Amino acid sequence: MSPRRFSLGGGARVLAALLVLSIPATAAAAHVKGRFEGFRLLQNPVWAEAKDPKNHGYSFREPVPTVRAEFRRPFPYIPKELCLVALAQSPQKPPKPITVSVGGGRTTPVTIVVPPGTLLSFKNTDAFKHRLYGVGQKTFLAGDTNKGATRDWSAPAEPGTYEIRDELAPSLRMWIVSEPNAAAHTFPSMKGEFTVEVPEAGEYTLQAYFSGKKVGAPLPVTIKNEAQDLDASRTPIKVNDKAPPPEDKAADKPDDKAEPKEADKPKEGDK
Amino acid sequence: MLLSRFWYVLLGLVLGLATFMLFLAVSMYNRASTRTLGESLSSDSQVVSWYLRDDARQSSARLIQFEVDQDIARSLQKSSDSESKVPEDARDKTLAAMKKINNAIPKEDQFDAVFAVDQAGRVVGQLGYEQASGQADFELGGYSVVADALRGYIRDDTLVLDRIYRVVARPVEADVGSLPAGAIIGARIMDDRFARELSARTGAAIAFYANGERASSGAPEGFATSQLDQIVGDLGGLDKDDEYRDKGRSKMRTIGGLLGVQYSRLPGEAWALGAGFAVARIPATVDGPFGFFKVADDQDKHKANLPLAIGVAVVAAAIGMLLSVFEHTLPISLFKSEVGKLARGDIDQLTPSRFRGAFRKLAADLNDGIDQMLAKGGGPRRGPADMKQVLGDIPDQPQMSAFSFPGDGAGASGSGPVHTPPAKVLPTAPSNPRLPKPPTRGGAPAGHLEMTMPEAGAGGDEETGQRSRPELGNWGAAPPDQAEWHAVYQEFVGLKQQCGENTDGFTYEKFEQTLKKNQEALMNRHGAKRVKFSVYIKDGKAALKASPLKD
Repeated sequence: MSPRRFSLGGGARVLAALLVLSIPATAAAAHVKGRFEGFRLLQNPVWAEAKDPKNHGYSFREPVPTVRAEFRRPFPYIPKELCLVALAQSPQKPPKPITVSVGGGRTTPVTIVVPPGTLLSFKNTDAFKHRLYGVGQKTFLAGDTNKGATRDWSAPAEPGTYEIRDELAPSLRMWIVSEPNAAAHTFPSMKGEFTVEVPEAGEYTLQAYFSGKKVGAPLPVTIKNEAQDLDASRTPIKVNDKAPPPEDKAADKPDDKAEPKEADKPKEGDK
Repeated sequence: MLLSRFWYVLLGLVLGLATFMLFLAVSMYNRASTRTLGESLSSDSQVVSWYLRDDARQSSARLIQFEVDQDIARSLQKSSDSESKVPEDARDKTLAAMKKINNAIPKEDQFDAVFAVDQAGRVVGQLGYEQASGQADFELGGYSVVADALRGYIRDDTLVLDRIYRVVARPVEADVGSLPAGAIIGARIMDDRFARELSARTGAAIAFYANGERASSGAPEGFATSQLDQIVGDLGGLDKDDEYRDKGRSKMRTIGGLLGVQYSRLPGEAWALGAGFAVARIPATVDGPFGFFKVADDQDKHKANLPLAIGVAVVAAAIGMLLSVFEHTLPISLFKSEVGKLARGDIDQLTPSRFRGAFRKLAADLNDGIDQMLAKGGGPRRGPADMKQVLGDIPDQPQMSAFSFPGDGAGASGSGPVHTPPAKVLPTAPSNPRLPKPPTRGGAPAGHLEMTMPEAGAGGDEETGQRSRPELGNWGAAPPDQAEWHAVYQEFVGLKQQCGENTDGFTYEKFEQTLKKNQEALMNRHGAKRVKFSVYIKDGKAALKASPLKD
């Protein structure tokens, strides 16, 4: 997927300039606003696996007819799962330690993009212990984290995606993306709106990550000064433009549109 | 004895067959018991699974009361709309509504914990989960059961947290057609109380396990729950069970031969964590033929045909006793009686034809033995034959002192009147050829048995005093016995006189009577056709010698 630079030309440039000028500079850092689209079509991999009967995740699972089919999908809770990162043109220093809360069957956040060496502090907010481990990671072997305790781990120097799991909670899966150019990251609201704060002026690329993978097209932005606030909401980032899964369509099928029974089919000679 | 022996053999065969059948029955019983145990455990396991599923459905139905409550729905919607934090008033209203509804539910149907979560997965209100009291950021949104409920599904799950929880969840809708405002989650702790309740309703001994440990257990009356602790040592081997790994239900496993167990995984997250439940039964196998007495209850014993068993035993014993009496007691009694008669002198010999089997041979041998002893001169107690015992108390009558048996070709032969010189009557061997031949005496022909009379006078040859009289018989017109006996009488009287014995009153009639009696007795004893008498002198007195002739 080729990056689509957020370039404004002609009247749009003027409009954008007016827009940028209209945003008051209230802080030392620049802000870029934007929004996501299509996030309801994403699937949380844990929940998607859990709904498969082959995995024996339940003894019964029935849809509530009054809930519309478009909602009956394992779409993610994007404020925790969809991470937007502003990628700078050069490698970034590790930011301050980031606390990752472990509780409620998941981590918060679920996906995060940080520069290598970023210290992550996993805090157990549950009333029982967790046993986190990094998949394939010798530097993050399985170990107990009791109630209220924390466990620190730094993002590896090698760029890539690292998965964290819990031996005692199968639903808990976290992805840490070690990205050298990650200058800042943020999470959207439930409506998909986000605001990312970049530390300094420069050219950035906005990239969404979900379940440790890039989703949607990268959006280049140019921050001319630290006081600039850029609103890119008019060009939403489509994180998924695929059609909904067929089971959701089938679930929407009303009973009266079901296949006619053999006895109800019109027979030859019927008028 | 043949019938008795046949009966013993028959009884032995029957006993052996019965023993074989008992061991066969033990093997078949144990095999059938094991198969039944496996089927029972499989049935128990399925019943428990069905119960858990049915209980989850009923529990989800009970959550409807929370779901339709407008206070809860509106509060959850308000909380969902507030992404930053849960509004306090929403918490309060939700909690109040939950308490009100929960109090209206019968205690036996109440959940151990109920949670109301908003669309973000944050717990807005909860009852019963004291571990999270006062925790503002307590959330459950990561669990798939909660996520599904927040997306319009009713479903169950089994979570292994600090304990094993059976969880059901359903969405809460504030506005129909929109994303659910939140979800309501009910949880039951799968503790001993839950296990006991489950056991009481399914009749199965059940233990829940997680993380390689027994979490809880319950068993019907008569089954010690401590026995279920044995599953802990067996859990490690479950990974090798293909059916357990692939299908979630193990084959029947026997722990120490004392406990039959079948393991099943619990649905939900617990499946992936290896948590499950075990149903157990005690195998009803028997150790051996006598093991049936241990496992049989009163009903089994009542159904057993005891009268028939007793009847068979009595009939078998009666037949054995009857055969024993018929073939053992009666012949012995008869033999004893006859021997008694012999001992008392009522008879002179046993009659073999009166006995059967071995006793006939014994009688014949005994007769031969007596004859042999007589031929040897008798034993110390029997002493020499006393003519008084044989011939009765006859004054001045001759006393038999010996019997002689004719040898081969010796003595009279043929039916005609033959004068047989007494000197040629030789002692013969007894009828039993195994007996030793009698010693030859001086003057007496070889093969003759000879007994002397105490009163016999001296005379005859030098050793025995026997004097053979070749001319004794008188074979005239009179019958052979009469003529012979007359001659013997004359000879005897003459010899008595010669020895100086008194012959007054010793008439031929008395002599003849005595000889007849003696002749009859000897013929009966030896089966002789006739008896020859001869006279001789022994110890200075006249004596008679009788010689049975078989020719």
